[in-house]
Amino acid sequence: MTGLERRCRWLLLAYPGWYRRERSGEMLGTLLEASPPGRRWPSFRDARALVIGGLRVRGWTWSLSMVWVAAGAVITGYIFYATTPNYISADIIGTGFIGFSAGPAAVQIVAVLAFVAWVALPLPVLIAGFIRLRGWRPTSWLRAAAWAGAWIAGDALLSLARAWGDSPGVSWGELPVCAAWLVLGAVMTWILAASARRSDMPGAGSQASGKASQRPTGTRDSRA
Amino acid sequence: MREPTYFVLASLLDGPLHGYAIIQRTEQLSGGRIKLATGTLYTALDRLAAEGYVELVREEIVNGRARRSYGLTPPGAGALRAEAERMAAAARLVTGRGRGLLPGGSARKASPA
Repeated sequence: MTGLERRCRWLLLAYPGWYRRERSGEMLGTLLEASPPGRRWPSFRDARALVIGGLRVRGWTWSLSMVWVAAGAVITGYIFYATTPNYISADIIGTGFIGFSAGPAAVQIVAVLAFVAWVALPLPVLIAGFIRLRGWRPTSWLRAAAWAGAWIAGDALLSLARAWGDSPGVSWGELPVCAAWLVLGAVMTWILAASARRSDMPGAGSQASGKASQRPTGTRDSRA
Repeated sequence: MREPTYFVLASLLDGPLHGYAIIQRTEQLSGGRIKLATGTLYTALDRLAAEGYVELVREEIVNGRARRSYGLTPPGAGALRAEAERMAAAARLVTGRGRGLLPGGSARKASPA
């Protein structure tokens, strides 16, 4: 088994077992045929398509968004309740507005960049999502809600790290959380930026896809 | 019908093809514009099969792995044809009055393209 084949098999784990039993040999054959000779890793496009395809077959894209929203809401509620007094007092009494003015310069720079990316990242994605979906349908709203949840969860994680760390100012423990959050945000973008289909919804059957609802419902066509 | 779907169905017009052949034929038919990733292809095939537009026609074993060929069903061919006619009608709206749309605005006297 070549390295490429092994890595493709790993990616195919994104699909559920019943689907793999039926399809994995066939898909593996196509993946290997479609890869140029000498290639050791599957292309980024193939990897992305397999992960998204697997999540779709599992029906997880919708539930992932919902779990994300719920986690964001619950964690934020808890954090708000448990740490707000500490958070505020540490920042106001401490070293500054955001609290990134303590520690070595490199830490401050990374922390500020992470903070800016964290604040700035969701907004263009949210706007792009709406433009892409061109409308105010439920799928658009789920996506927006997923992003709001992601953003809030990141906020909550940072607050949590701040509460655990030595306040005031950014702590070393806070940086991995920042980094993890950015990675998580990127992954969520990647998953959620895939075009929405009504078939993402559990029990949706083979109706026209989300993008097809521009047309009157009832014109059952094969839009993909 | 989105463009990749259209070209996947069109790739089967000359007869059943297996996965990689569909990817190649689709890229060729679309002038290199549509390069399907394997995962995307099988998502599309699953959906088209569920809609009754394509069907499994042959299964063989190549290098110890299943290789399945998919073919267009009559409803699939009908949907493809309907889409082609819809696009042709939409295209005629523009191409039918070509000279009025020359760059520069007003209908200039130009040799028909």
